Amino acid sequence: MALLDDVVSVPRRTMTVFFMIDTSGSMEGNKIGAVNDAVVNVLPMVDEISQTNPDAEIKVAALEFSSGTKWLYNEPKLASEFVWQDVRAGGLTSLGAACIELNNKLSRSGYMQAASGSFAPAIILLSDGGPTDDFQSGLTKLKSNKWFQAAIKVAIAIGDDADKDVLKDFTGSSESVLIVHNIEALKQIIRTVVVTSSQIGSKSSTAGDVSKQDQVIKDITDAVGDIKGAESAAAPAPAADNYDDWD
Amino acid sequence: MSELKPGTKIGLNGGGQVEIIKELGRGGQGIVYLVNLDGAQMALKWYLNDPGDKFYKNLERNINAGAPSDAFLWPEYITKRESGSFGYVMKVRPRNYYEFGNYLLAKVTFKSVTAMLAAAMKICDGFMMLHRHGYSYQDLNDGNFFIDPSTGDVLICDNDNVMPQGDKSGIMGKARYMAPEIVAGGIPDKYSDQFSLSVILFMLFYANHPFEGARVVACPCMTESYEKKFYGSEAIFIYDPNNDTNRPVRGIHQNVIRRWMAFPQLLRETFIDQFSEEKLRNPNTRLIEMKWKDIINKVRDEMVVCPHCGDEAFVEIKDSSTRCMNCGKTINTSLRLILGSRELPLTPKTEIFIDTDNIPDGRVAVDTTGTTLIQNVSPDAWVVETASGKIKQVDPQGYMPAKPGLKIKLKIHNEDYNLEITTK
Ligand SMILES: [Zn+2]
Repeated sequence: MALLDDVVSVPRRTMTVFFMIDTSGSMEGNKIGAVNDAVVNVLPMVDEISQTNPDAEIKVAALEFSSGTKWLYNEPKLASEFVWQDVRAGGLTSLGAACIELNNKLSRSGYMQAASGSFAPAIILLSDGGPTDDFQSGLTKLKSNKWFQAAIKVAIAIGDDADKDVLKDFTGSSESVLIVHNIEALKQIIRTVVVTSSQIGSKSSTAGDVSKQDQVIKDITDAVGDIKGAESAAAPAPAADNYDDWD
Repeated sequence: MSELKPGTKIGLNGGGQVEIIKELGRGGQGIVYLVNLDGAQMALKWYLNDPGDKFYKNLERNINAGAPSDAFLWPEYITKRESGSFGYVMKVRPRNYYEFGNYLLAKVTFKSVTAMLAAAMKICDGFMMLHRHGYSYQDLNDGNFFIDPSTGDVLICDNDNVMPQGDKSGIMGKARYMAPEIVAGGIPDKYSDQFSLSVILFMLFYANHPFEGARVVACPCMTESYEKKFYGSEAIFIYDPNNDTNRPVRGIHQNVIRRWMAFPQLLRETFIDQFSEEKLRNPNTRLIEMKWKDIINKVRDEMVVCPHCGDEAFVEIKDSSTRCMNCGKTINTSLRLILGSRELPLTPKTEIFIDTDNIPDGRVAVDTTGTTLIQNVSPDAWVVETASGKIKQVDPQGYMPAKPGLKIKLKIHNEDYNLEITTK
């Protein structure tokens, strides 16, 4: 029957994964290299999830912030069309400005204009330090944004110098702040966080009224336990002295 | 979290072992591996995290009970609890079966309406058998079905949440497929399965979601609270006759707009009823699978092969002729085979499906003189009584004339059927 030949894909809502990447001077070297490498390697996985997912089409947007802020593309892109330009590190940490920039794009006149509508986005913040600008007023503005309120928010703290309190403020909970201590862990965490957030639209939920944010964090936390050099900010920090005094 | 490397051997409960060959795929809960079991290739679903004793025991019980029907890719063996977790072994899904999601994404399309109807029938039959065995499926969604596009044969996967009706697996289901009472926090059971089944059937036939129309598209961000509203407390069927606020949108819901009126009225009426406020609110009034099978039978009866263009076409059973939806020429459907409340138009080349096993039992043909014939393509002989009382036998592959007044007695799967040829 001719009716069968002209079938088109079901409309899918768009789920955008936002990367907010700290490219301040302290990220220079291995750290920024690992971020670039991890993102390049996770994009094909996101593409695969998007292509086989009848519920959501997944797009990617990336904002880098140092002394200023810069979007890698001026609209969210399909992972298959997102050609990652390696970001370079240098300058300060304008996280407050980045919050304001994100707030501008989290609107229907900004990046959230998909014709069949959107799902709440996933926002992944990566930082190794603390903000050097007026972070609080930027965040206050962002927190009044409905898209941000509904978003899945995860922060990755790279090394011990990252300001965990700031990241906790950003995501809204210490459970959603993940700390990595080495380059390999950083790569694995980026992969886990991106893949888990991308899959959330097509997963069955379990009893107990768990929100998507909680579900993503739970899945990531489960996975983090197996990654050497990564931990959740909510877990107790490893003891530096190996409890030698207890011998 | 535990992953297995190729070459790893995992012991099976009750003896024997499987050896990991390679990974076939992974989902949220676990990884599926190709494994070797005594020289045979099987699939092992391995849980990344041990789901616990209750889950293990339930799975073990389901394995011992066996599959409710051949539609299920049922767990066959459970592993011992090794390497931090466990898994179960099932048959490998053949290559010609594609995930239902691929059909929704228009990457795979049914070769024919016959195949589409066969898929619908097989899905209903599978869940009928599952519920008849006292189970509920709990997490029925688009990810559970693999379908052969040319035959419509179905394999139902992910049978690890199948539980005795009334038991809790802890799973709620997938958004957009969950019944309103589950969205509101209820416990999945066979009635919520029946709701999800209607959603799946709707999507199979019309390739759009029954609750996604103008009202839902207008929502810019589908948050969890909106999801609860649009698919739960305030779900509105896109063709609700009493509420037109959620009609499909041109350019977005193209498939259902094109197919809704082209597919039989019986199908429209059934979905309007199943997705009415009344049925959404009262789970135990939903259509049982056996009734769905009757409806699919009748829809299949209304599908003929157009004698002019050779394409499949739906005809209106209440009329004695219909214009072909493909070529526009008139199809004469006055010659009928009557079977209880069913009427099957006897148009040349049309296949006759009497029972619900998706295997044709008869085929309509025309001889060189232009007389319409019925060929017996079933494995058993038919007994025919003529208008004057003579008894004739039609052997398998044999033909009989499609003469009004002839009465046919036949047996399929030990079930007796009495048919009669009439004209409208
Ligand atoms: Zn025709």
